[in-house]
Amino acid sequence: MSGGNIRGFSYLENLPPITFRRLYQQPATSLAIFRRMLPNLAKVIVTTLLYNDKPIPLADLEALIRPESHRQREDAFSKLRRLHIIAEAADGISLDPVFKKNFRLALTGGGSHHSFGVPCNTPDKKNVTVAFLDEYAQKKFESILHFMVGTHNDTKPGDGVIELLCIGKLMERQGKGTQATITKNGFSFLLQEGNSQIWALLIQYLDYAEDLKMEKTDVLHFFLMLGSLELGQAYAIKTLTLTQRTMLTDMRDYGIVYQRKASSDRFYPTRLATTLTSESGGLRSASQTMDVATGADKADDEGKGFVIVETNYRVYAYTNSPLQIAVLNLFVRLTTRFPNLVSGRISRHSIQEAIKMGITADQIISYLTVHAHPQMRKNLVILPPTVVDQIRLWQIEGERMKATQGFLFKDFTTAQDFEDVARYAGELGVLKWKSVQKRCMFVTRHEQIAEWLKRRAAGGKR
Amino acid sequence: MPRAVKGVLVECDPSIKAIILKIDEDHHHAFIVEDLDEDHLVVKEAKLAELKERLEKILEKTQMMEKDDDSDPDQPG
Repeated sequence: MSGGNIRGFSYLENLPPITFRRLYQQPATSLAIFRRMLPNLAKVIVTTLLYNDKPIPLADLEALIRPESHRQREDAFSKLRRLHIIAEAADGISLDPVFKKNFRLALTGGGSHHSFGVPCNTPDKKNVTVAFLDEYAQKKFESILHFMVGTHNDTKPGDGVIELLCIGKLMERQGKGTQATITKNGFSFLLQEGNSQIWALLIQYLDYAEDLKMEKTDVLHFFLMLGSLELGQAYAIKTLTLTQRTMLTDMRDYGIVYQRKASSDRFYPTRLATTLTSESGGLRSASQTMDVATGADKADDEGKGFVIVETNYRVYAYTNSPLQIAVLNLFVRLTTRFPNLVSGRISRHSIQEAIKMGITADQIISYLTVHAHPQMRKNLVILPPTVVDQIRLWQIEGERMKATQGFLFKDFTTAQDFEDVARYAGELGVLKWKSVQKRCMFVTRHEQIAEWLKRRAAGGKR
Repeated sequence: MPRAVKGVLVECDPSIKAIILKIDEDHHHAFIVEDLDEDHLVVKEAKLAELKERLEKILEKTQMMEKDDDSDPDQPG
């Protein structure tokens, strides 16, 4: 999967142009945006333009791309425009000068920007190993997940974390001073994969930081810089800005960085930090997060799966972890519990309850699949197809109407106009519905189409 | 130039659509932006939740849902 499609992270695309200009002032940030937010074709376009001093005509660039891939081409160009990476003039396309300069710096080195962090080379009194960092990150992040489902763990997350969960509506407090309880959003958050979870938290943090009068770009720089740091290496704090130093305390609570003491002059990024902007970070699935959260034994890889689903909708789960039981309880009606086993049944009622909480059938199915007991993996089809189909059917049953947010375009002057726009929208993959007789159509996003209409009106080209 | 209107596209069965039209009529056309065809219409974004709620209520009255039996047939008691 080429990056950028993760919920939470894609929010960044909607930042105003001025924010992007400021973001590109740091080489590390430019690199992170290139790596994580651009589709592959857009990367090719950027690298083509990078060492060209003169603008390149649009037609020349388009000649590089196979005509049948026009959909990807439009997608790539619109991404680049939206991120303000390319600038268009009469004589062709060039990269944003600030982006160009800093991206070159990121690739070839040089400058004294410190944007990749300054390694701390003096030996630390206590040796900090990668294994230790992993364990630390796991413990911290696990305590957040545990806290969300309300299992009482010996380590409670910091107050800042709880505050953030409440602000992000992942949890809510009924009254002042009462225990926070998990919300619908919180449940679907739990079933997301690890990297999305962290980004969801960070994006929330970003919004929250603005209320605290922290500089948004500073915060973003820091997030994206964390992604380019090296695991197991200590970094100096002295080059960080004041805002970023304040953030360190919070990042420590999420398990994203490690500091031995608050007064320490160095910090260690954990695996959660270093995978922030890499695509492989997405590989950590919900199941692994759960394993992290439940402290499942990593060495014992085969012991991962613990759920058996029978064709009669009975579910047996070999677990005694409160977190896993709590998650199963979201969509299984659990009836009996033994020291190492819980059993129950999937019913229409239990599935529809889960769907009401905002969990989708696909999330349930993928959870059951990744956690399937090794015994079930011996079959060609892991889950019984009847159960899978039935879960999907139960979901559809609850959906009397399917709602899609977007925009209705109408009042086209000519049939030709309508056809052109409809075709363009189809190429972009945003067209949901159209009617030739009524000359109107429904699309999920309007920015690109509006832009295209404007350009067409201006140039009369294409 | 064409115009763009923000809204939510609702896809549903014609039977459901008929109920939505009725709800809209009873509430001084507060919900629907545009009626597209027999199984599509566009409604106001802010009103979607309310519309869903009203629809559920009406369906509850008119439809008999089979009672979901949560008890396990294989287990006595």
